[in-house]
Amino acid sequence: MTTGISYTEALAAFNRTNDYPMRDDALPKDDLLRGFHPDQAGEAPIPLKIGVNSGMPCHPRLAAILQSNALIDDVNIVGAEIQNTDILVIGGGGAGAAAALTAADKGARVTLATKLLVGDSNTVMAEGGIQAAVGQDDSPQRHFNDTYKAGHRLADKELVKQMALDGPDVIRWLIQMGVAFDVLDDRSFGGRLKRKKPGGATAPRILSCKDYTGLELMRVLREAVNLHPNITIMNRCPTVELLSDDYGNCAGAVVYNLERRRFIQLRARRTIIATGGSGRLHLNDFPTSNHYGATADGLVLAYRIGARLREVDSFQYHPTGLAHPPHLRGGLVSEAARSLGAKLVNGLGERFTDELQPRDVVASAILREIAEGRGVERDGQLGIFLDVTGLIADNPNILKEALVSLAHLAGKCELDPSTTPLMITPTLHYQNGGVVIDRHGESTVPNLFCVGEVSGGIHGRNRMMGNALLEIISFGRRAGARAAEGMAEAFASRPGIHHVHDWQRQLSMAGLPLDIHGPTLFPDYGHFNLAADAKLASSFAAE
Amino acid sequence: MTQDTTPQVLLNPEFHVGPDLAGWYAVGGGDGLRTAMADPKACLTTIEASGLRGMGGAGFPTSRKWGMLAERDAADKVIICNGNEDEPGTFKDRVLLETSPHQVIEGGLIAALATGANYLYYYINPHHMKGLAAMRRALEQWLVDDLFQDMQKALGKSMHIYVVESSGLYIGGEETAVISSIEGGFPFPRVKPPFPVESGLFGKPTIINNVETLSNVSHILRNGADWYQNLGIGKAAGTKLYSLSGDVLRPGLYELPMGTSLHDLVFIHGGGMLLGKEFKAVFTGGPSNTLLTKKDLDVAMDFDSVRERNSRLGTGAMIVISEGTSIVRKVTEYMDFFAKGSCGQCPPCKSGTFQIARILERFSTGDSTESDLAALENLCKILPGCGRCALIDGAVTVVESSLETFRDEYLAGIQRS
Repeated sequence: MTTGISYTEALAAFNRTNDYPMRDDALPKDDLLRGFHPDQAGEAPIPLKIGVNSGMPCHPRLAAILQSNALIDDVNIVGAEIQNTDILVIGGGGAGAAAALTAADKGARVTLATKLLVGDSNTVMAEGGIQAAVGQDDSPQRHFNDTYKAGHRLADKELVKQMALDGPDVIRWLIQMGVAFDVLDDRSFGGRLKRKKPGGATAPRILSCKDYTGLELMRVLREAVNLHPNITIMNRCPTVELLSDDYGNCAGAVVYNLERRRFIQLRARRTIIATGGSGRLHLNDFPTSNHYGATADGLVLAYRIGARLREVDSFQYHPTGLAHPPHLRGGLVSEAARSLGAKLVNGLGERFTDELQPRDVVASAILREIAEGRGVERDGQLGIFLDVTGLIADNPNILKEALVSLAHLAGKCELDPSTTPLMITPTLHYQNGGVVIDRHGESTVPNLFCVGEVSGGIHGRNRMMGNALLEIISFGRRAGARAAEGMAEAFASRPGIHHVHDWQRQLSMAGLPLDIHGPTLFPDYGHFNLAADAKLASSFAAE
Repeated sequence: MTQDTTPQVLLNPEFHVGPDLAGWYAVGGGDGLRTAMADPKACLTTIEASGLRGMGGAGFPTSRKWGMLAERDAADKVIICNGNEDEPGTFKDRVLLETSPHQVIEGGLIAALATGANYLYYYINPHHMKGLAAMRRALEQWLVDDLFQDMQKALGKSMHIYVVESSGLYIGGEETAVISSIEGGFPFPRVKPPFPVESGLFGKPTIINNVETLSNVSHILRNGADWYQNLGIGKAAGTKLYSLSGDVLRPGLYELPMGTSLHDLVFIHGGGMLLGKEFKAVFTGGPSNTLLTKKDLDVAMDFDSVRERNSRLGTGAMIVISEGTSIVRKVTEYMDFFAKGSCGQCPPCKSGTFQIARILERFSTGDSTESDLAALENLCKILPGCGRCALIDGAVTVVESSLETFRDEYLAGIQRS
């Protein structure tokens, strides 16, 4: 059991000086990642046994749910109401909203079904900002280079190119919709966009709304989605299975209305999965910054119907999640703090890394300090300090102007950030890989699109700050536009859950357990059992 | 797919040489045709003794069909090989056409010798693209082959063989619709009589044989009637291709002795029920027959034994349904297929299939009432026999049978609403 330096001692060391000495035992980047990054030092990946990616390494806990049995059987959807829609969007975060709005603007009838509520998503948790090459000293090419390099040159170049090129237009679209980005000039109208430099970038490229950029984005998108006459919203309707036609193409989804406790068949010409990531699976037993819904549902459903995946053994651990108090463990402290100059300090009152390196490097450096006993220990929780006292001393208004969320969070931790450092530890933050898509967001299964965190290929094995918000809008709009092109086609005949039976055959033949059912829908502690809730007649889905 | 029974004729990998005539000869192809050429009159006797029956669904003895054509006194006689195969759950002919086209063609040539036919049409569903392409290539090879020249000498007239594309529609597989289609029209079924053997394609005496039926012929001529007869179990003769699908572990195409029990097909060859779920029923191909249920698991799957259970073997398609699958949803799916497949010539069929499909849709979405059930039963009473072909009869049979056997599933739909 690793221990650290007691909080009292660490605080004393912290208060000794304002000019923390830098340790001189830095490891080469590769050694640091190999020794301390949870992808490499955590639970070893296992090869997937069934599905189109058989043999590909995958995190064992994710593999268990990817190779799970279905939640429902054919008999369960007897009596289910059928609704037809041109485009079904699954997920009510930023990617889903952007896709729905774009498709609806092109005249398609869109149904947006979400497990929670529209806007209740990780998008609102994105604090730092959104990248876009809008500066005169910047270019999409530089944006591409930085992103590709940060992803360890493993990303799909085509996707990175599209995203970087879309950047300026995405910002224009968001501003037109009403997003209030920070500006340099104190003017009520116009003004130059304020840019910050994200970790690992060669130019300032982060646009933000203080440190609650995602919340501001979602405020605007949610309003637009709610008001759009072509969009029907179905809140609290988790997708339990996709529908497929005779050819294995996607033909919509079966959702479960939590309020009416009924299944609904949503038949659609095109289906866009925008369900986000998988932080709530708590891989490697890490805390997570992700919101309640991030249970990899879309990934599981897409894989079961035959979509190809990539890099499902690669996750981003954000360097600065709260380590104390225990009830807020995992909650995110924005990278905005570090990009403004906040320092990371260990239990000995020393700095140990350049805070503006890519996230995987900084997180690994923090985990190394903790593993080697130089962390801070308080009430059994281990972490290190994030110091903003110097920033506040330099600019007393910074908590109001730039670090609003941080001030709010410090309040919840009952500490004064101008005198006391926050105690932080890396937190499971982002799923780097996901469903393979093309530049229109279409998966390898016809009529099925995947956008946002559920998709893979854009970030390689490490994501830069600010690229997630750009990705969801860029590819959300791309998928929405592409999906709206198929409106003249006929609906698939005889949609059902045929692919589930093929899947179950593979499960049986591979000798995999049949009593693990997925998608997860809600984390364990949510204590939700679909079979019990829906009073399923068949004993099949009962636990 | 596992094949743990030895007698394989049609699915014997040895014969799967594709459109390669030399390869076909190398595995004994051509021997059957030579036997027939040596004594064309004996063919009928051999086929009769073998017990070969029509594999397209009816199970009519092949020798009797051929005999009727042989008796006709006409300059031109026609044999059509029906490869339209479009029923849900049936996927045997497409495999034969693709993997062993020469087997199909040689069978047709023997049939021509036996009946004196000089026109041979291969009528193939264009959706079976690979099968269609293989047949076209195979035919090119036959037309320039010496054996084919010798065969025409034995026949005493020149032989015309064509590969034609069907419309790809379900109704296009009906005997008289096949004729309408080849004549260049929409595949409308015709009123019988006159039967095709009296006045068929362009008014000439015509018989229609299924792909699987003709595929067996060369093997029978080569190996003898007794050999074929003995492949079957009990009185049943030969082997049968069973298209196994639905809730079984290993769906697929199985060639088994005619008369294999349903239980063995599902639980031995098919690997048992998917996820070990309870067996509920089987739709036989397809799927326009009375449902087989648990009490029929012991049935020998040959034409006569299945008929004794008031059902039909049909094409040999077996769509297995477990407790995890809804009968109502399946019947709704098939009814939708029949409604879309009706050619629309006969108003009771056109409107009847549509109305039944609408009512069933209400059952499967939980919007049905008691009166829907009554209406369904009434339609099942008044519709049979109202069409010039059997489409409406088959559609009603499957609805009626499900109503009788799984009435509780229909009632559950009513209670839910």
